[in-house]
Amino acid sequence: VGVAFPLLQALQRVNGRLLEENPSESLLFDVVLITSDSQQQQQSSRIISNTRHHGLEISRFCFSSEEDFTESLLKNNVHLFLTTDRDEAAQASQKGVFSALLNGKVASSEQLRVVFCGDAVIRTDAEPPSASQDAAQSFWAQLGEMRRRFGMLDSPLSLVLLTSRGGRESCGTALQTLRSRGVNMDEAYSLAGAPRSPILSLLRPHFLLINHLED
Amino acid sequence: MSLDPVQVMSGQVKELKVGPSSNGDSRGSWDEKEEIDQDNVGLTTKPKPVTGRRTRKVEGGVFFPKPENAVTVAVSSRVLFRTEREQKVFEQDGVEEYLRFQIEHENEPFTPGPAFPFVKALEAVNCRLRELYPQSEELFDIVLVTYNHAHVGIRLINTINHHNLFIERFCMTGGSSPIGYLKAWQTNLYLSADADKVREALSEGIAAATMFTSEKVTEVSESQLRVAFDGDAVLFSDESERIFKAHGLDKFFEHERDNEDTLLDHGPLKGFLEALGKLQKKFYAKGQRLDCPIRTYLVTARSAASSGIRALKTLRAWGLEIDEALFLAGAPKGPMLEKIRPHIYFDDQMFHVEGAAEMGTVAAHVPYGIAQKHNAKQNISVRK
Repeated sequence: VGVAFPLLQALQRVNGRLLEENPSESLLFDVVLITSDSQQQQQSSRIISNTRHHGLEISRFCFSSEEDFTESLLKNNVHLFLTTDRDEAAQASQKGVFSALLNGKVASSEQLRVVFCGDAVIRTDAEPPSASQDAAQSFWAQLGEMRRRFGMLDSPLSLVLLTSRGGRESCGTALQTLRSRGVNMDEAYSLAGAPRSPILSLLRPHFLLINHLED
Repeated sequence: MSLDPVQVMSGQVKELKVGPSSNGDSRGSWDEKEEIDQDNVGLTTKPKPVTGRRTRKVEGGVFFPKPENAVTVAVSSRVLFRTEREQKVFEQDGVEEYLRFQIEHENEPFTPGPAFPFVKALEAVNCRLRELYPQSEELFDIVLVTYNHAHVGIRLINTINHHNLFIERFCMTGGSSPIGYLKAWQTNLYLSADADKVREALSEGIAAATMFTSEKVTEVSESQLRVAFDGDAVLFSDESERIFKAHGLDKFFEHERDNEDTLLDHGPLKGFLEALGKLQKKFYAKGQRLDCPIRTYLVTARSAASSGIRALKTLRAWGLEIDEALFLAGAPKGPMLEKIRPHIYFDDQMFHVEGAAEMGTVAAHVPYGIAQKHNAKQNISVRK
């Protein structure tokens, strides 16, 4: 199994619980597997059967070439592209696809844990929002809506706010901004300049959403 | 080395795409551009100096010390503020109602709790330290560590604002154990209302004590931080107390006399006294010994002429100074503490904690050592 395996299981658990609450739920996670590696493409049928074998629900498989994998992402209306390859992520984001890194070393929990870096949330109110910020916000809003389908305890999904710079005001503003957009955080951490690694290793996020940040 | 600025595409369907990496995952770490510490996420939380990183400056020239340089005091929301009403809602009506209640009262600041005067005094010391050493990071750093949900966050922040507290760092863990975060913050002292969390912290080697809300609180100094410690099972190990409990007072005295020149082993709060001592020396170095805004006290049932000697010798051997040592030879501690007026008094026995509280002293229980088994037998009611 690969790095994203626990993540997919967590996503599926969320979907499962969403459908439990409402069998006609339409707000679900939809997973697409994409590879531009020609070797892997030759083994496409093996990959597909392997995913079935492990019980992974993948709705689409995309085998493209290296040049146009970002085209595939765009064509498939991708909300979020996850990879462990920094270059791939950079490439995709340059073409306008919201990307995030999967960290291979983090032990993952059963609960889907999403960490928002709040430093990005605040700036969106200070200046007119760009297209990228709009899209990020709509992604968060959907996650927020998903989170509201569950109660406070025993949720298969946890939303975590992390502000690295700034003090309590930054964190407080981020909490209020997110709430006004229908996103209620479960946990909040204000680091005010303290190093992130120790805290991140405890948070064990499946992925970390950092919007555009200068510096 | 960090991600280039990402742009986002808007879409209708919510999708995640997972791209298998062709290059292995060695580059998949979330290091920030400015972080020189190349640790990948997920490794040990052992303290590691972040070399080369300059002091961070924020607006107004006030900066946040690196956790390893500061004396970090972690407090829970229930000891920093009074939250009894909300606690009752939680206990009687459940978590959803509790959170709804908190949000409804978001603009109502909490009133000060038992740790509040202590925290205020820490800030007063920081002011004095900043005057003398404007660039130093050796300060008190107060972190709010609570297992409250982030829904309560805004009310907590509003309260901190209302009381003009300088707390910029916090962890709201939404129900999971805060103990790991204590280590991540390199906590020197943890104060909580929850005895189980305190015991857990102690077992992880973090100085910790349980605090209680009391109706009677005497006024304490706003300019001088006063911290009082019991000796056995707080600053020192509980070895002597074990002798006393097992074999009685005479045996205890005999044992202490025979071992006068053997150092006592250290107790859970020795490290915190040490941290206070380091800060005190910074004032002495600038000629402010008489005017030092930190004062420490030993308040022990030992007697000066006999068993107290071993305690003093041990402290001296550790290189720790204590400003005042009070040997009560078994007399009640309450009246003495009432004279001292410490912001906090640490004792391992609930009997003394309650005695102190009756006279208006803020006393914190250190659930360590042999006295705990003894306490369990007595039906002591603990006010939370």
